[in-house]
Parts: sequence; structure tokens; C-alpha cells
Amino acid sequence: MTALSLGAPPAVDLDRLLAGIDTLAAQRPVAAQVVAVANAEDASARTLAGVLAADVALAGRVMKLANSAYFGMSGRATTLQFAVTVIGFTAVRTMATVALTCLDDESQLPEGFWESTTAVALAASTLAPRFGARSQDALCLGLLAQVGVALLHADDQGGYRELAAAHRPFRTRRAAEVRRYGISALRLSAVALGQWGFPPAMVAPLAAVDDPTSADGALLRVAFEVGARVTDPAHTPEPVARLSRGLLGEEAVAAVVDQVREAADDLRRAVVGD
Amino acid sequence: MPASPTATAHAASVSPEVLAAVFSVAAGDEGPALLVAETIGDTPRVTWANEGAVRLFGSAGGDVRGLPVAALVPSLAAGELAVLLRRGRPSRLALPVRTAGGLVDAVVRSTPAPSGTAWTLTVVPGAGAPDRVSRATADAAERRFATLTERSPIPTLLSEQGMRLAHVNDAFCRLAGRPAADLLGTGWTRTVHVDDLGAVVEVVAAALEGEDGEVRARLVRADGTERATVLRFGHVFTPGVGSGFLGTVEDVTERLAFEARLAFQASHDPLTGLPNRTLLDSHLTTRFSAGGRLACLFLDLDDFKVVNDSLGHEAGDELLVEVAGRLRATVRPGDLVTRFGGDEFVVVCEDVDEADAAALAERIVAALAVPVHLAGVRFRPHASVGVTVQAPEHADAADLVRDCDIAMYQAKACGKGRVRVLDRSGRAEARDKLRLVADLRDAIERRAITLHYQPIVSAADGSLEAVEALARWTHPQRGRISPEVFVPLAEESGLIGPLGLLVLDEACRQVVEWDRVLGAAAPPRVNVNVSALQLGGGLRAEVVAALQRHGLAPARLSVEITESALMTDPAAARSVLQELRDLGVAVAIDDFGTGYSSLAYLRHLPVDCLKVDRSFVAELAEGHPQIATAVIALARSLGLSTVAEGVATPALAAALTELGATYLQGFSLAVPMDGAATAAWAGAR
Repeated sequence: MTALSLGAPPAVDLDRLLAGIDTLAAQRPVAAQVVAVANAEDASARTLAGVLAADVALAGRVMKLANSAYFGMSGRATTLQFAVTVIGFTAVRTMATVALTCLDDESQLPEGFWESTTAVALAASTLAPRFGARSQDALCLGLLAQVGVALLHADDQGGYRELAAAHRPFRTRRAAEVRRYGISALRLSAVALGQWGFPPAMVAPLAAVDDPTSADGALLRVAFEVGARVTDPAHTPEPVARLSRGLLGEEAVAAVVDQVREAADDLRRAVVGD
Repeated sequence: MPASPTATAHAASVSPEVLAAVFSVAAGDEGPALLVAETIGDTPRVTWANEGAVRLFGSAGGDVRGLPVAALVPSLAAGELAVLLRRGRPSRLALPVRTAGGLVDAVVRSTPAPSGTAWTLTVVPGAGAPDRVSRATADAAERRFATLTERSPIPTLLSEQGMRLAHVNDAFCRLAGRPAADLLGTGWTRTVHVDDLGAVVEVVAAALEGEDGEVRARLVRADGTERATVLRFGHVFTPGVGSGFLGTVEDVTERLAFEARLAFQASHDPLTGLPNRTLLDSHLTTRFSAGGRLACLFLDLDDFKVVNDSLGHEAGDELLVEVAGRLRATVRPGDLVTRFGGDEFVVVCEDVDEADAAALAERIVAALAVPVHLAGVRFRPHASVGVTVQAPEHADAADLVRDCDIAMYQAKACGKGRVRVLDRSGRAEARDKLRLVADLRDAIERRAITLHYQPIVSAADGSLEAVEALARWTHPQRGRISPEVFVPLAEESGLIGPLGLLVLDEACRQVVEWDRVLGAAAPPRVNVNVSALQLGGGLRAEVVAALQRHGLAPARLSVEITESALMTDPAAARSVLQELRDLGVAVAIDDFGTGYSSLAYLRHLPVDCLKVDRSFVAELAEGHPQIATAVIALARSLGLSTVAEGVATPALAAALTELGATYLQGFSLAVPMDGAATAAWAGAR
């Protein structure tokens, strides 16, 4: 245990944090516009690509993602419009959100943030059908699940780094975050995504991650467990059957761990570059 | 309560106390409503419910246990229950459930047991998210789609994004031989043959952009076997999500195999299994190019007819199969062995020179010469082989085959088991012959073949007995062509029939003309030569037609046929000649003594006259009268008249008259003349 457990933890000023989110959007207007356009029911690949083209860095990442192994297009996405078509509007919106929250600037993030995030995203995407969820939504959810981590880290770099080092396991870290900031990072992600207009169905699992009755929560719990097994050599595995409410066994997850280990790096490079 | 293998294994590793504790928690009302459903008869019914479920659905456990699952989920039509109670995979549906307090929105999750006849159901009431209505609509649409595709025997794929699949139906899982979990996402692309994946991605890319398309690809099943399929992709657009595709897969393995069998049968010889002439043609056509190095070997079995006639067709077939096998074993890898037809085979080699091709031909001849037992008889097969290597003179593949066919005939002419390479001079000769054949055909069509007539006179008093019609051809460029050249040419090239008809028709016309001009002084008869090849069925009809066409009496016509032609098929010749005799047409045997006719047979032939060959007449002039004497005596003893040919001097005429020759024909009496000169000659006598 560290000094973090001593004394009253400084609760995060949520109002300030959420106001900061709006400030971030103002700094990346194109990304903000992409999020807004992608939310519209009448969005088309052409209009989205048209908006995207104004942010060269973001457009390049969308192209890179469309040609990643995850989408299986073998480099055939050669136009921005087709890249948008390939990855889907939710993923475009996710990529814009990554840019919006400066998640593409790894110097501002906790160490290993993207290794962990892409592993969780891939695990969620792979496991989604077993939980009756859509893979593409689960991938985006996984990519954005730790927005709250980035926000807390940006607000309290030293403190969060110590907290993360002292509380490696998923569940105990959530509890430590609640004790220190009054809100867990995942719940904060849910709040932020809700604020950016992501649909409730996509945000709900973030809130349900500690709800033992929630299947969406179970999917995220298992995804984080897989992510930890892939990226953290010191991780002590938790029984998957308990995390998944009996839906999954260790054998099923072992295969997913291998798949994620194989593909995560490719996805990470596509999302945030080398 | 059935459990998954993992759960079973897990349960086995914990103590009964723990299991009891966990069960007690699950059975209580703290957690979600839990039910177990099992198929009893044909109906899935609730067989166990925890406290939470009893509280949600009824006032007592007995009210819930035994209930059909369908009663709990009234919005699912009878056929839709399978969408919830899946085999082999969990499902999650947001739908109203019938509780003690009426219908309540809930999320129902179903987890199947490995047996496929039991499910654990978790019911979470109150799926009241803001987007509940749209989710319910989407779920209903998805249920309809799932019901449609799951029941469909057509393997179906539904995309998520890019090449990723969100859904595959059981028919596709069966086709791929893999569980759905292995096929979702980009997993299915691993079942596409690596060489076909690029084409599939292309069509998917087009479908994502709005174009429907199809592609043929091989799918590799889990057991390594391949299925040939046609994948069809259609564009699907979901507002707020983007583009996707709906794919269906048609397994065309059997159809392709059937088509391949048909194609094989159409291009292969059923007896030997070798490619046939059709395949040879296409093989040569696709490989022939100017300056290429193709070679053709044309083989014709020697004495195949003897095997067929003496040992039977089964032995003949056995020999052909044996030869095919030896050819396959002798040629080089990549060479094509084909059965051209009958007892003829063609081998095609690429990238060889004349020496290579000739060496291969010699190897083939040696391989074929190994004895084989057919119907208990030891037989040593031989083949005559013609070889041609592609040369600038060959305009196309057909030229090549034609040349090696010619070379084969040349080889056959040299004896059995010979190889003949058609070199440049041989090819030029063959080409020249081909051109001559074309010119001859043209000359016959234009009636440019003319007739000369050589008188045949009585040895006793010198009176004109008949004239022999002799065909003459003056080529526009080459001048006069001897009948010894163009008659065999006509026989080889199938022109002997038209040539014979022309001679017959013109001779009849000429006699009628002479009658008109000369009256009683006209030649009493005209002799027309008939080839062995004309002894088919139609000769009598042709003679009758010519006589009728010109109004000529049959007695004014005599048909001359060579002794060797008669002996080719004596029985057939006898019946044809008898028909002519019955008409009143006279029959003479030409070149008598040069063939090998059976004298006994000769006695029964319907002939009137023997023509003593000019070679015996020439021997007579040189002081060797024996054969001429014997032939004349033989004819007399058989009651036949004789014509001595080649009477070159008056002394010979006198000697032959002395020997008893009936008629004389030769330069000393009259040379062959055209119609008008013959008329003048006869008129002046």
C-alpha cells in the first residue's frame, strides 16, 4: 500500500473536468464536427469523408485503420470515402473522439495506455457475439473505455500514476479511483461519451461494469481481464467464469488471448501510429 | 441442470460445499431471475426456477415449473422460439415477458447446455433505456432476419464492417466445417483459399460501395477439404452505422465436378482415357505460335485390322489400351499423348528439335515392339511413325498435323515399324502434291480432263471393234500430266469417283456424237476403266444414269477393271460386275497376269475379255512368248476373248494373231486420239 491510502483523497472536480472536455472539442474543431456529423441519422460516407478531409492527421488515421488487419481489406481502402465505408460511422466517430481527447498524444497518457486499450478493444470485439453484443460497437467501446483514465491522468498525473501502480487489478483500481476521485475512470468515460452524444446503448456498459447482473458489464469485465493478461506480465488472472457470470470458460478465453496478442499491435499502430 | 463442459470441469474442481453455496445463492432471490428450460417431447418447458424467477413470473414455484417457455415470451411467434433457444451459442433478446403483473419489458439471455436440449435463461426486467423503442424495432427486425437466415439452407453472411462478419448462419458453419465463433469478424477469411482471397476482397469492396457482385472462390474446411463456391454479395446500408454487405454462398463443388466429368468425357477417349482429337486441336491451337518449337508424332498401328479381324474387337481394344499405356510411359513429362481415332495416335511435344523428336519416335517404336498377349496369342505391335517439327512453312497447327500424317504414310510405305521425319524437301513434295490435288479437283469440276480414244481392232480382219477411253490432263502451268501420276493421286485424294464419272459420261456422249457423224462407221463400243475404289455400291446406278442421259445402249459400253482391283475384294467385285453384265455392259480384266488372281476364282467371274498386259507383249517381242501364249490359251479355254495391249510393231501384231489373240491394241495400229481425230480415223477406214 502507498501513501494514497492515507488521508482524505482529493475528489476530482467533475464540473471542471467536464468543462475541460468542451475546451478540448474547441481545440479540434474538425474532430468535433466529425463526431456531430457521424451522430446524424442521415450521415453518409461522402459527407463524413468531406468533413474528415479537413483534418489530415485524423483522415490519415482513418485510412490506416481501414487498411488494418482488423478490417481485412488487404490495403484496398484507397480513398477516404471508402475508408469511412469500411470502418463504419461508429468507428469514425470513435477515431474523432480519440483525436478530440488528445488520446493520440501518447506523451500525455499513462504508460502503456494504448497497449492496454487496443487489447481491451480487440478482446471486447472478439467476445461481443458471445454476450449478444455487436462486435463493431464493442471495439469502439473498448477504444474509448479509458477516456476517463486519460482525463484523470491529465488532471492528476503524479497521483494517478501512483494509484495505477499500487492498484493493478481492474476491480481494485476502480475502487481506488472512487476513493480518490469520487468517481471511477470508467464511469467518467461514460459521462464524457454521453456528453459527446454517443448513444446510451454504447455508454451503458461502462456504467454497468460493476453490475454482476449486466451482460454488457460482464463483456467489459472479461475484456479488461484479457487485456491485462496480454499486456501485464505481473497480472494475476481472475477466473473468467466468475467475471462472465458463467458464460465463458478459461478455454474460450485462452484462444481470445492468443488472437488479441497477435493483432493488438497492428490495431494500435492503425489508431495512434507507431 | 445441464452445464457447459467448462462449467462441469470447474464444478468438478470445487468442493460440494462450495457448489451447494453457489447453488443456494443462485436459487435465492438476490440475483437475477434464473430459469432452466428443457425440451420435453417437442416443447421447451421450464423445469427449474430460482426464487427471483418465481417472484417475477408467478405466485408459487409450481406455477412456473412445467410452463412452456413460449408462454413466458408471447411476442415470439411459434417459429421464433428457436431464435431465443439456440443450439450451441448464447442469445440475448430484448422483449416483453409475461409476468405475474402482466407484460414487462426485459432482456432475456439464453445459454445452451452442450446437449442442445436445455438452456439457462436469465431474465432482467426493465430494459427501459431511452432508445428502447428503436432497439426493440431493431431487435424485431434482427429476429426476423435471424429466423429467416437460421432456417435457410443457404449459407449466409452478414457483414459488420469491411470484411468483418457480424453474423453467419448454421448453413455456412456446416459448409465451412467450423463453429460460428471461428467465422465471425475476419475469421471467415481464413476459410477462403489464400489464392482466392484477393478476388473476394475486391467484390466485398465493390459491395460496400453499393455494387452487387459475385466471385468464385474455394473454401477450405476445417478438415482440410476444399469446396468450390460462388459467393454473392449485396450492398446493405444501415442509417447511422454505414455500409455493409449481405453475402450468400453457393456450394458448386458437385456441379463443377459434374461439368468437369462432362468436359473430360467430351475431350477424352473412353476406351484408353487419352485426350481425343478435340483436345488435341485446342492444345495445339493454344500453343502454336510463329517461330515456335512444337513437334508432332503421328502413329498408326501396323496390322491392327489383322488383330481385329482374327482375334476379335475385344483383343483390338485391349491392344489399343496397352499401346496407350506404353505411349504414356515413354513420352517425356509435359508431352501430350492423344488418340486421333481408330488405331492412330498423335503425340505433341514442345520445345524440341528434329533430332529430339526423331529420338522420341524411335523410343516409342521400341517400347511398342515389346510382345503382348492378346486372346492368348503372342503379338508384337508395330507402329509407323511420322514426325514433323514446326517450320516457318507451317501457317497453323493443322498444317503441322497434316504434315506428320503425310510423314506417317511415307513411313508406312517403307514397311512396318518405321519412323519417317518429314524434312524440308519432303514437305515441299507433299505441298506440291497437295497443290496438284487441288488443281485436279478444279480440273474435274471444270471438265478440263479430256478423253483420248485408242482403237482396238480385230486380229482376224483388222475391223474396228472398240475404242478405249483414256483420260488426259493438260495442266495450265505444268503441261501434260501423265495418267500414271494423276489417277493414283485421284485415288488417294478421294477424287477417283468424280473422275470416273466424268470419263463415263464423256465417253457415252462421244459415242452418241460419233453415231450422229459416222453412222455405221462409228466405233461399236467404248471401253471405260474403272478403279477398285469405284466398286462400291453406286457403280451400277451411275452407269445406268450415264447410259440413260445419253440414250446409249448398254452393249455399246465395256468396263475395264484391273486384275489387282478385282482381287482386293473379289466377292464385292463379282457382285458389281454381275450387275453390269446383267445390264448388258461388257466386262474386261485389264493388266491380266500382273496380279495374283486365283485361276479357280477367275472361272466364276462374270467377264467377257482378258487384256494381255503390255509387259508380256514386250517380252514376246524380245523372244519370250511363254506368258503371252499362256494367257491367250487360258482365255480361250475359259471362253473369253483377249485384247493384246502394247502392240508396237506389225510383226508383233502378226505374232499375236498367230497365238490366237482376239483383238489388238497398240501404236502400230493406232495411237490414242481425241474425239474428232478418232472420228476421222474411223471414217477413213
